[in-house]
Amino acid sequence: MIVKKLIEKIEGEAELEFSFKSGKIDDVDIKFDLYRGIEEILKGKAPRDALVITPRVCGICNHAHLIASVRALESGFRDAGFTFELSKKAKDIREFTLSCELVQNHIKWLYLTIFPQLNRVLKSDPDDNYALKASYIANTVTKAIAIFAGQWPHSSYAVPGGVTCDPTYIDIISAQNLIDEAIRFTQKVLIGMDLDEYLSIESLSQLKTLGGDFGKLLFTLEDNQLAKIGKSYDRFIVLGESAFFKSAKSIATTTSTIDQRFVKELEQTGTKAKAALYKNRFYEVGPMARAIINKEPIIMSLRKRYRDSLITRIYARVHEVAILLNYTKGLLQNLDITQESCTLKSKATPSDFSGVGTVEAARGSLIHRVKVKESIISKYEIITPTQWNLSNSVEEKRGVAANAMIGLESDELASFVFKSFDVCSVCTTH
Amino acid sequence: MASERIESIKSLFTAKSAKVETNKGEQYYANLYEKCKTRLESLQELPPVSNKIKIESALEDEGVNRRDFLKWASATTAMLMLPASFTPLVAKAATLMNRVPVIWIELQDCAGNSEALLRSDGPKVDEIILDIISLEFQETLMAASGHQAEKQLEDAIATFKGKYLLFVEGSVPMGMDGQFGTIGAKAETFYDHLKRVSDDAAAVVAVGSCATFGGIPAAAPNPTDAKGVMEVVNGKPIINIPACPANPANMVGVLLHYVLTGQIPELDSLLRPKFAFGYRIHDNCERRAHFDAGEYVEEWGDTGAKNNFCLYKMGCKGPMTFNNCSIVRYNEGVNWPIGVGRGCIGCSEPDFWDKYAYERPMANANIKAPTGGVEKTVDQFGLGLLTAAGIGIGIHAAASVVAGKKGETNE
Repeated sequence: MIVKKLIEKIEGEAELEFSFKSGKIDDVDIKFDLYRGIEEILKGKAPRDALVITPRVCGICNHAHLIASVRALESGFRDAGFTFELSKKAKDIREFTLSCELVQNHIKWLYLTIFPQLNRVLKSDPDDNYALKASYIANTVTKAIAIFAGQWPHSSYAVPGGVTCDPTYIDIISAQNLIDEAIRFTQKVLIGMDLDEYLSIESLSQLKTLGGDFGKLLFTLEDNQLAKIGKSYDRFIVLGESAFFKSAKSIATTTSTIDQRFVKELEQTGTKAKAALYKNRFYEVGPMARAIINKEPIIMSLRKRYRDSLITRIYARVHEVAILLNYTKGLLQNLDITQESCTLKSKATPSDFSGVGTVEAARGSLIHRVKVKESIISKYEIITPTQWNLSNSVEEKRGVAANAMIGLESDELASFVFKSFDVCSVCTTH
Repeated sequence: MASERIESIKSLFTAKSAKVETNKGEQYYANLYEKCKTRLESLQELPPVSNKIKIESALEDEGVNRRDFLKWASATTAMLMLPASFTPLVAKAATLMNRVPVIWIELQDCAGNSEALLRSDGPKVDEIILDIISLEFQETLMAASGHQAEKQLEDAIATFKGKYLLFVEGSVPMGMDGQFGTIGAKAETFYDHLKRVSDDAAAVVAVGSCATFGGIPAAAPNPTDAKGVMEVVNGKPIINIPACPANPANMVGVLLHYVLTGQIPELDSLLRPKFAFGYRIHDNCERRAHFDAGEYVEEWGDTGAKNNFCLYKMGCKGPMTFNNCSIVRYNEGVNWPIGVGRGCIGCSEPDFWDKYAYERPMANANIKAPTGGVEKTVDQFGLGLLTAAGIGIGIHAAASVVAGKKGETNE
């Protein structure tokens, strides 16, 4: 029996085609039917134009694309012999805006995707305005981004060598107020406890004290036997580096270093998306991968009991809201505004270079690769997180999300698992 | 040759459609006031199109008092270029927004405008957006998805036939018979989808640069033959709200104007509402004084950058971009690109990716600080600059087309 299912959260549409065998899913096809040709458009443009074009790949993780682009250009400039170091201030501001983007992403996914789907699975209809909760906290943190980046979505304030903004103490205080407000909301509505108290949670038994919407969600998953579904390969990779995230791969309990050059894209049949693999194997990217590589105690405890299941995946993503809010607060406190905003003073752009920029976006690792010949982009490659997680099957190997849906008994349950990875079709196909 | 070009540009910007009349005379506003009053009274008679929360209780729940609400209303009245006496009417119109059904569809897009709408403008106006307007169909916001959502859309079209406002986000890919973008289980092309939903709409509002002028997907070499809504939809009133993303203040403005008057706002030759696109970024820029004084940022992070000097030499397109960013700003008025020292990229102008892009300076414009009074600066220098830039834009457009072709043959 074949069941077709359309999924259209949160950015664009995906189509799932399930094959059932004796009441259980034994195969699944994931299709994305949107194409804009951003890589083709970039070809032939001036290198710095990438800074305004690539953010427009995606309305929800545009900032990650900007940072990947600027890093790709910077690595290319260095490759061509330019020498420059970013000031700590510029690095910290970029980290701040990027972290805020992750926070708003996670929150919107939780309230606009996860809760509605959970209610659909449980056939319940609670009187809760998810959209308002999502928009309130997302508004608050994106305002903090706008203080440094000018606007969200679609800012281009990062340039090779640093950032264009030159914040004052007033700007920093305004941003601090907004982060404090986001923390207040998180404490009151999301976790129902003090942030510091939450961050000290390390074991599963301590989770009982968790309140708020997050607590409710975890107990509901556990009570309805939903915690353990959605397991995949238990194999993770993080490609982006920052002061906070470490790049590595993890298989079972072993963590090892990686080399970017082994990342390959493969064409798939029947869909406009390409698959992304490392040394010809699928890896899961995203908050769960980052937490496992970072050895976050509570995620390690969850993984021990539930492996890479739905509950660990959801927990890791919401957990990142708390740790990133705490992190951004620290970034603001230590920002030295007397440093230079941009250390690459010259407007000159090398005429021939190739560069790579990697960043940890909300849904996982994002790579931009650029080749420039005679001052014009000759090739631009964008490999997005959803190409890792939501790929179909290639060469007999199943993609990560596809693998996690096998064996489930209904298409609603499978959609829930699929959405725990978060659909972003505009990124997947670009 | 050059003088001909100057004349043609002059005529373009002095054409009747380009003029913004902020004062249309007492009689005009007196008539309009009466008309709006009657319109609002008749709307009030109607039941809300769907059972949504009342604005009064929503505002109360969120701790917004009447005073703050009226503050928002008076700011919005000013933005719509109406006299202050209209403030009570605008406030009333906001409470009646749930009488007008709205359908929002996404085509070839990045959902950036939905994202922008989600964090709408003004004190707590997100309540107005999410709770008060009758958003009958919006993929990102509604709980339903997939087949269920398709059904909801069909129901909304049938129920509100001829009455709903259709907001469209994203361009329409026409290449390969529309196969670059399809929607739903029947794989309906975006073009067919748009046709079907727009046929029964009262008016179509194209939101963002993709829906208005094709945006990024239409940039050279336009791989999917992407087009704006006005190029493919005929026989319907169309309102364009360009920019990438479109400013939510302008989306709310258009909607409010429709509720208030029952009509679409006055448009320019590119179908943009004049209240938002009647002026250039440059006209109200906070860094304008530095432009007039000849003080420019010359390199990223230089002394000029530290002192918020003019960004024209860094490629700012403010002087040739029509939009109200410099007044309403973004993210609830927190900031805007020029506020963080990054020039305007002209994202609300047609073909801006190929013509303007960012940082490509405009024909190495040799700018001299104007002499004479401020008036002269605005009228004469302003137009002179526009002309020079117009020519520069032409050169760059040609250069980028050549560049595009060169890149292709290299591959």
